Amino acid sequence: MPLQAIAFYALAAVTVFAGLAVVFARNPVHSVLFLITAFFSAAGLFVLMGAEFLAMMLVVVYVGAVAVLFLFVVMMLDVDFATLRQGFARYLPLGGLVAAVLTVEMVLAATSVAHRGAASGSTAPAAPNGAMTNVEAIGRLLYTQYVYVFQAAGLVLLVAMIGAIVLTLKHRSGVKRQSVAAQMARTAKGGMKLVSITSGEGVDA
Amino acid sequence: METFWSSPVGWLVLTAGQILAVLVWILLSLAFLLLADRKIWAGVQMRKGPNVVGPFGALQSFADFFKFVLKEIIIPAGADKTVFLLAPLISFTLAFAAWAVMPLAPGWVVSNINVGVLYLFAISSLGVYGIIMGGWASNSKYPFLGSLRSAAQMVSYEVSIGFVIITVILLTGSLNLATIVEHQAGGFWHWNVLGGGGLKGLPMALVMIPMSVIFFISALAETNRPPFDLPEAESELVAGYQVEYSSTPYLLFMIGEYANIVLMCALISVLFFGGWQAPFPTPFLAHWAPTAASFFGFLWFFAKIIFFFFLFAMVKAIVPRYRYDQLMRLGWKIFLPTSIVAVVLVAAWRVFGPGAGA
Amino acid sequence: MTIGLDHYLAVAAILFTIGVFGIFVNRRNVIVILMSIELILLAVNINLVAFSSFLHDVVGQIFALFVLTVAAAEAAVGLAILVTFFRWRGDIAVDDASMMKG
Repeated sequence: MPLQAIAFYALAAVTVFAGLAVVFARNPVHSVLFLITAFFSAAGLFVLMGAEFLAMMLVVVYVGAVAVLFLFVVMMLDVDFATLRQGFARYLPLGGLVAAVLTVEMVLAATSVAHRGAASGSTAPAAPNGAMTNVEAIGRLLYTQYVYVFQAAGLVLLVAMIGAIVLTLKHRSGVKRQSVAAQMARTAKGGMKLVSITSGEGVDA
Repeated sequence: METFWSSPVGWLVLTAGQILAVLVWILLSLAFLLLADRKIWAGVQMRKGPNVVGPFGALQSFADFFKFVLKEIIIPAGADKTVFLLAPLISFTLAFAAWAVMPLAPGWVVSNINVGVLYLFAISSLGVYGIIMGGWASNSKYPFLGSLRSAAQMVSYEVSIGFVIITVILLTGSLNLATIVEHQAGGFWHWNVLGGGGLKGLPMALVMIPMSVIFFISALAETNRPPFDLPEAESELVAGYQVEYSSTPYLLFMIGEYANIVLMCALISVLFFGGWQAPFPTPFLAHWAPTAASFFGFLWFFAKIIFFFFLFAMVKAIVPRYRYDQLMRLGWKIFLPTSIVAVVLVAAWRVFGPGAGA
Repeated sequence: MTIGLDHYLAVAAILFTIGVFGIFVNRRNVIVILMSIELILLAVNINLVAFSSFLHDVVGQIFALFVLTVAAAEAAVGLAILVTFFRWRGDIAVDDASMMKG
């Protein structure tokens, strides 16, 4: 399937390039934008592998929420980027060497293991279950066998939400707030007063 | 000849043709819907809208198009050029990319994927970026503030839109938009707004009618339409994140925004009001040629889109603007709890109600 | 040529090392460190989904879903801590955050 190969190589190249750009970009806003590109092309890789639900989840959660969070924080923090890049050149050669060695090791291990054991029988990453869609397959497993882990994930998100609010909420006193209930409970009795005045005199008289 | 169309090149040509057809149709409808928006607004204010260009002002949008294209593109000093020019492109592209999964008629979908609803959700999540990038790249305080406000507003109302969509998915049992439309066949009592299961599902209308209203209002907030247009109202923040844009980039932003509006109208009709289904049972369609039957469905879909766009335009003309904190309060404190309760009710109906067990 | 499991694992490996390299090199810029962590988690996700699709077992995708959840939560809390740190210090050079050093 030449089309699939072209799609894979294009998406993989974009992902890797975007990943490198995240690390090497001068401007943090550009880093975040390249991170979004990396997530998006990884979602494309997921679709190629038949995991379309997870691909859409990646875009919605990572790109639509987490990256927006990164972008807000990066844009609102007034940072001096020149001083932040001072250590960059110092660690670059050693970091590059370590990264190169690590890459070679991992790729060698991956290619030697990939055709052994259970993975050797399958030829293409077709949809694992022909009878039901990917979403249904995930649903059938998630809400029955892994329901406790599912609820635990919800708790993790709740705790993270509470933690983020506790850390960053600055309660400002003396700010006039709108109380919708008080406004709606106002009646003509408390809100209006009829006075009869002679012409030429003010109301305060 | 048959083998050409089934080869990869043939498939590419066929898909490109379909995409072109949908694009041309949307752009032409947009041209006249833009004019309709201004005319309806004018009608409510008891004046005539644009009526100089063409008969009854019908060619106004084309004249506007030429005006925008022929103006000078001004890029502010100190603006990040790449991001500045990329932002309207992203807005424009995403607004049209979402139409790939929209079922226009029986058998007329450009891309019939099994996660169509999630794809639409992903596209609207990405739409926030065009706005943030546009505001930030302008290198100016007011567009930046306007874009952050607008982005926060869009993200807030996406959450309640998500829950409302979940209620529809629970009733249908599939994320595929074409399946959602086919599920509402038979007549208007089968539409999701009235419970989705015909007369047996009518008790759910008590939940689904408020849900369709919440979806409509959240769609207004999602597309920055009045009454939720504080980030881009003329008397508030001039044009918000668009203020430093001129000529073609501004045109792209505008077309992207209106394409989003039409997308939301189409989504309302697909999810709640039967998509391309006629409001009465159509057994005679089985005897028609498939293309004619599809065209019949397409006309109903188009009519529904125009009706909901009319509602969008009327709301713009009639209702005063929401203040930003009132807007956020509405999204988080009122719509979100309501839609969560609705999800629970619809799920309970599906598990314990009649017709359950599917 | 057919795209096999090793292709996807190789992409994941490269992305993982880019993330580790990013942490290694950007010692002072906390935001890029957080983004490199997200890259590492993305590489792990690709790995999980690749195995799930080639071994025809959906469990890998479920695990990837939880990794996604935890990554989102961790990014939120990490950025909240960063914002608080910035409010106190005025900049985000974490190398200088040595007030609690013994």
